[in-house]
Amino acid sequence: METKIMIVDDEPDIRAAVCTILEASGYGVLPVESGARCIEELEKGFRGVILMDVMMPEMDGWATTKKAIGKGLLEGNVVAMLTAKEDPDADLEEVAETVVNYIRKPFKPDMLVSTVGRYCRWLERDRNAHLAG
Amino acid sequence: MGCNNLVIIGSSTGGPETVRRVLSRMPVLEACILIVQHMPRYVNESVRAEFAEETQMEVKLADDGMVLRHGLVIVARSDAHARLAANKVVQLVSGEKVNYVRPSVDVTMKSLRSIPRVNAIGVILTGMGADGAEGIRHMKGVGGVTISQDEASSVVYGMPKVAAATGCVDFILPPELIGSKITDLVKSWSNGVHLS
Repeated sequence: METKIMIVDDEPDIRAAVCTILEASGYGVLPVESGARCIEELEKGFRGVILMDVMMPEMDGWATTKKAIGKGLLEGNVVAMLTAKEDPDADLEEVAETVVNYIRKPFKPDMLVSTVGRYCRWLERDRNAHLAG
Repeated sequence: MGCNNLVIIGSSTGGPETVRRVLSRMPVLEACILIVQHMPRYVNESVRAEFAEETQMEVKLADDGMVLRHGLVIVARSDAHARLAANKVVQLVSGEKVNYVRPSVDVTMKSLRSIPRVNAIGVILTGMGADGAEGIRHMKGVGGVTISQDEASSVVYGMPKVAAATGCVDFILPPELIGSKITDLVKSWSNGVHLS
């Protein structure tokens, strides 16, 4: 099963739930517990859909996203924040071009599957366009 | 055939889903719709295709020199600002990001001119930050009708909140009603009546 989704969340229960839901729909899921581990996997070449928790110790989801942008690691990825937090602060607009959605916990499994499926199709279309071009 | 009716929609985080809901409520309009959606470059074509699934109007990614016409939906490309020349033609402009983004909603909206006269609607949908607020102020100033998304339906109530705070927004609505409002306004213009 090709790994297309990375769930970045410090809560084991959330990582387990996302893996269960998405793997049941045929997606390969890479669970990581911190922003630092997310950066590591991006540096190793992960490309796909990233579901990023906002509130994590040490490096939160916004800081992780900004760091990944700064390192040029998000090219070819779709990032959606997955969080229980309310509206983000206005000064986070610098990630607006990168973060396509803001999914609130608790989420409905069918919504998560359909949303992630759309983002996978976006990336597949881009990949196919490159192969054709 | 010129384009006398123009709708400019600015949208960011959570926008691809929201724009689809707006478009789904519109018939083929006697208007050109220009959408500035913040997004990564490599999903431009996918997002365009999703928008096209929601409407009978033709949906194209913006090209430099593209002429506005009724029944056409133009989606701004990532990595270039989309300016309007004489309210008739799209100009793709490279250059610095504005409000941390390129394309910027402000740049597109502020390029609208009061002459030649055009019936215009400016819309701000869900998103982080403040892009589009100055554009809405400008559009109101040149005689346009302005709309922002309501808080309850916004994935992120950032851009619509700042736009509404300018005091230059005429209607605050959820996406489906935004689509209906645009339709009603354009139909009234086509019939020579001004609802605004």
